[in-house]
Amino acid sequence: MHPSATITQQPEGAQAPYAYRSMQADSQVSEARELAGSHILCEALVREGVELLYGYPGGAIMPFYDALTAYPMLRHILVRHEQAAAHAADGYARATGKVGVCVATSGPGATNLVTGLATAYMDSTPIVAITGQVARPFIGRDAFQETDVLGVTQPITKHNFLIQRIEDIADIVHEAFRIAISGRPGPVLIDVPKDVQLGKATYRPSASVSSIEYFRSTRTPQPSATAIAQAAQLIAQAQRPVIMSGHGIILSKAYDELRAFAEKANIPVITTLLGLSAFPETHPLAIGMPGMHGPAHVNRAIGETDLIIGVGLRFDDRVSGKASEFAPHARLIHIDVDPSEMHKVKPATVPIVADAKAALTALIAAVEPGDHSAWIDEIRSWEAQDIERIAGIKRDQEYPDPISIVDAIRKETDGEAIIVTDVGQHQMWTARHYLWTRPNSHITSGGLGTMGFALPAAMGVKMGLPDATVWVVAGDGGIQMNIQELATLKYYGVTVKVAIMNNGYLGMVRQWQQFFHSRNYSETPITGPDYTKLADAYGLTGMCITRREDVAAAIHRAMEIEGTVIIDFVIEPESNVYPMVAPGSAITNMIEETAEVNAGHD
Amino acid sequence: MTNETRSGVPHPAGAPHPTGAINRAPTKDSVGRVVGRSGQSNAPQGTEHAYTLVMLVNDRPGAVDRVINMLRRRRASMQSLVVGRSELPDVVRITVNVNDSEVEFNHLLEQLRKVIDVQSIVNLSPAQAVARELALVKVNGTAETCSEIIELGHFFGAHAVDVTDETITLEVTGSEEKVEKLVSQLHKYGIREVARTGCVAMTRGTGDNEVKKIED
Repeated sequence: MHPSATITQQPEGAQAPYAYRSMQADSQVSEARELAGSHILCEALVREGVELLYGYPGGAIMPFYDALTAYPMLRHILVRHEQAAAHAADGYARATGKVGVCVATSGPGATNLVTGLATAYMDSTPIVAITGQVARPFIGRDAFQETDVLGVTQPITKHNFLIQRIEDIADIVHEAFRIAISGRPGPVLIDVPKDVQLGKATYRPSASVSSIEYFRSTRTPQPSATAIAQAAQLIAQAQRPVIMSGHGIILSKAYDELRAFAEKANIPVITTLLGLSAFPETHPLAIGMPGMHGPAHVNRAIGETDLIIGVGLRFDDRVSGKASEFAPHARLIHIDVDPSEMHKVKPATVPIVADAKAALTALIAAVEPGDHSAWIDEIRSWEAQDIERIAGIKRDQEYPDPISIVDAIRKETDGEAIIVTDVGQHQMWTARHYLWTRPNSHITSGGLGTMGFALPAAMGVKMGLPDATVWVVAGDGGIQMNIQELATLKYYGVTVKVAIMNNGYLGMVRQWQQFFHSRNYSETPITGPDYTKLADAYGLTGMCITRREDVAAAIHRAMEIEGTVIIDFVIEPESNVYPMVAPGSAITNMIEETAEVNAGHD
Repeated sequence: MTNETRSGVPHPAGAPHPTGAINRAPTKDSVGRVVGRSGQSNAPQGTEHAYTLVMLVNDRPGAVDRVINMLRRRRASMQSLVVGRSELPDVVRITVNVNDSEVEFNHLLEQLRKVIDVQSIVNLSPAQAVARELALVKVNGTAETCSEIIELGHFFGAHAVDVTDETITLEVTGSEEKVEKLVSQLHKYGIREVARTGCVAMTRGTGDNEVKKIED
């Protein structure tokens, strides 16, 4: 029997203690029940529609794990490291738009979640973390496995709670979910002392409002009509406008609105790293990604534009470069649900604090059909010059080339796969050269740049979207962080395909050393295991590809083999990501690829 | 009790702190007043303004901590901070004086507004607000100077709350400037200790002086 099958099995005729029962009409009187805190916690999670939890048990969270077996609809995935639980919950949340849930014990369990929480916080993804805490009388006494998790996670969560009374559990859980997903989403942590889990209290489901019920009864705030009118006026006046779209489009699922707006106003669309796949790159108005590794024509367009319509992005320093020289001729219409993003990097001429979908819907109605074909042609001519120049550069033809790997994955999956990338050169190559068409098919750690994110996040993505093909693209550095999750993937029969771009270096750091530290490759050469053997040891399939002509066939084989497959692509060791803007420099000031000869493998 | 702590002069500037912390001398202006706390703000020098923020915050575990933490994370230069009860049950009133540039300050406001437990924030302009602080000032006083000090205090509405053979402690309430004036007048007698509460403030009359939302 498959291991997961035992978990979801429910004993025949078992007294289901969960909330559905109480929702039945006749149970007004019998609704109140005496339950242990850990059961109330589970009841509240069920009411929030939670299906999956990623976690790892330990002393202070044991009562919760004890209760969990009575709630088969809460499927728990035992990860091999708590960090992976947080990333998996994050991946699940990004792929599905629902709240991801992770669980850990007190002390080291909770501190292992920290990187995952910080990742979710920087990229505004909704996750709820539940951590055990030592019993209330021990708090503050340096008890075994006690950590001030509230203090530790305060700057990297949207909010966090320490449950002090058993009676508060349900309310706090519902509030946590509401906070996680409302407005600008983010991670929320709930710290539950062991004695609060063990103690009993009266549980009355109707006494607290679940986030689902809450959102049913509230309406999305509409953007101010004055602001929309001002924005429409600026758009009508603009000669060289651009739309910059970010993660907000994906979070608010405003794909159709973005497209309709861009088409009606005829404005070219730039997508940030986290905005990739929000707008189809095959569309004639799509021009690419901005910033540090954006193609030259995009950064040049930003340098010359007279109006930026920024939707759901925060003008991160990797996008804006030197802020004082960012888009010097442009006025800014800034649409974001978070008012604290307004004027932060570039003062907004028209700030619109609203959900991207609501604001774009209003803008579509407010703008007149536009024609900016001359401006778009100009951008395209810059792009053509670039393509021509790059075509003239001689490259290594033997090693699998990063772009050929990304291309092959796209062709093999018809662009329908979800691609989860780690952090570094491979992340930029994939972002730039995979032609994104399926909405929300690009998942990466953008803001925090967390190496080790891809593999566990992909597990969450695949479990959230079981019908999708999920590919991990990672470097040989990042894949070794959280490699232990191969065991989890194997155990639960979760299939993700892994492409490792192995250049024997921490490539992005090496590239910086090449450009800014006179090729002093300090601690960037890195070795790894034999991935074929490693895959085999985990009961999975591995391959090693060293020649370019074998790339497409390997990708094809990986798709045919059942289960998780790891392909180790040995790529050119000193390939660089071009173009590149030096940190702190204006984005129009790019380091371009030249006809330099790259060193081969030893 | 050692003489050192009784006199309230914990450590002379530059002396090693018992916990290893470095005791830096505060930045002072030409007349010797402590001005701002250097190195704490991102604001370019000379662009700072003083702002008085009044926040109503849910009295929940960690709520005040969260507000203070936000001020630290956004490198707001805090001049004074008062935490106390308000007219509402379960609501704490926090009054904080911040020195910052306008741009940074507006960003800080929006960041604070995002803290879940913050119910409301008001930015009080000095013209529309009543701001008061209370100070206890302990000076050296002998039989000869005692009545002179008490009389001087009367000019400032201060009264003596503790008199010993060697010391007189005055209590004064008023604006920051008034407290500073009294302290400077008392310098000649030898100040042993000054304890100031920091400003609490509210609007005059019925005006609520609510900070305008960034969009308006």
